Amino acid sequence: MNTAKKSSLAYLTALVGIIISFTLWHLIKTNTLDLYVAWIILGMGIALSFLLAVLIHTIQLGSHRAVSSAQISKDLKKETAARTHAEEGRQRLEVALLQGQKLQAIGTLAGGIAHDFNNILYAVKGYTEMSREDVPQDSVTYKNLGKVLEAIARGQELVARILTFSRRQHHDFSAMDMDTTIEAALALLRPTIPAGVIIDYQVKAHSTILGNQTLLHQILVNVINNAVDAMDEQGTITLTLTRVVAGDPELERFPQLSRQNYCKIEIKDTGHGMDQQTAERMFEPFFTTKEVGKGTGLGLSIVHSIMQEHQGGIAVTSKLGRGTILTLLFPEQQGENHGKNSASRR
Amino acid sequence: MAKILLVEDDELVRDMLMQVLQRASHQVTCANDGEAAAEILKTVTPDVMVTDIIMPKKSGITLISEVKNRHPTMEIIAISGGGRLDPTGYLDLSESLGASVSFEKPIDNTALLMAIDLLLHGKKMVS
Repeated sequence: MNTAKKSSLAYLTALVGIIISFTLWHLIKTNTLDLYVAWIILGMGIALSFLLAVLIHTIQLGSHRAVSSAQISKDLKKETAARTHAEEGRQRLEVALLQGQKLQAIGTLAGGIAHDFNNILYAVKGYTEMSREDVPQDSVTYKNLGKVLEAIARGQELVARILTFSRRQHHDFSAMDMDTTIEAALALLRPTIPAGVIIDYQVKAHSTILGNQTLLHQILVNVINNAVDAMDEQGTITLTLTRVVAGDPELERFPQLSRQNYCKIEIKDTGHGMDQQTAERMFEPFFTTKEVGKGTGLGLSIVHSIMQEHQGGIAVTSKLGRGTILTLLFPEQQGENHGKNSASRR
Repeated sequence: MAKILLVEDDELVRDMLMQVLQRASHQVTCANDGEAAAEILKTVTPDVMVTDIIMPKKSGITLISEVKNRHPTMEIIAISGGGRLDPTGYLDLSESLGASVSFEKPIDNTALLMAIDLLLHGKKMVS
């Protein structure tokens, strides 16, 4: 509507100008200009003022529009960024949930397989023992059958580990001071660690969580053993205990965690690190980069399950050739809460 | 030495255990599942019943509780393959229902044979 007004105004102005010009022309032609000079100047003055006003108004409108559209563009960009951010967050949450479900499914599958596997191992063991009884003890056959029994024992051990991973266990949770728990675990671990490896434990904040002592020890043992293996028995493992408050941007790495305060444990090693592909699979059951017989590939998937049982989160940052940083988050225990809580998770 | 009823659904384990028990001079009757075992128990009274817990049709647990009612003097040994759900829970349950002892597969057969001997010995002392 404004543009219509403006264009009609323009025509109107042009019309007025033409009329004035004709009037002037007529007056000059009839030599009566002198009589009306004052009036002519008044008319032109008014017309010029009017024109100037319109011009100024148009310019003002134009600049106002420019500011508005700049503002609109800025707001649009902000909203797009927020939407993209939310979408990314949702995708990360989906991936995290899918990962958790996969591990759960694998656990159930492993449990089912273990039953049949135990039957198979038992049959093989029984037949082998009987056969061994029927051959002379100094024969090669006797020795070889002994090796078969050794292999069976290894198989038994593997199945037991699988079952530990997949079994639904009810663990007692109680309020624990993280510092004390870590100190206790490190005391157990230190004798088993090679001399070339230094464990540097730093406490940046104290924190109480609801957890199970045995499971927490298990986490630390598995993670630190992994770190030691990655370092070829030389280097430093830095363990940092601190807190993260609700809303901290660090928590964006863990979209599945609820909004609250968390106790954070960071374990950094100076080992050979991992590439992106390996890092993505490191919590997968049975996934290992170690040679056959040197690792079951279950250690970190057990850690992942335990973290889930504690309603916490785990994430890894790694650079090939530089080392790995594992971040563990535990929900903080709010307020005074002493005594045991029996909590069955999963 | 003893009359044993072996209840086991896995063919290989059943055949292997039968041989192990026979080598130890026991007389063995086999059943593939709980229902077959119940049938056999109608006509035969063994000294010991060795039964798997998790089986198709009638489960080992049901079998144990039924048998304990009808044959209170029979010794029962429960065995389990573990793995599914909560295996140790099942073994504990079977012991509360009437099994004298339970084993998790793969079983140390020497221990199993010793348990059988001990249970028999105990029975003989009582009777």
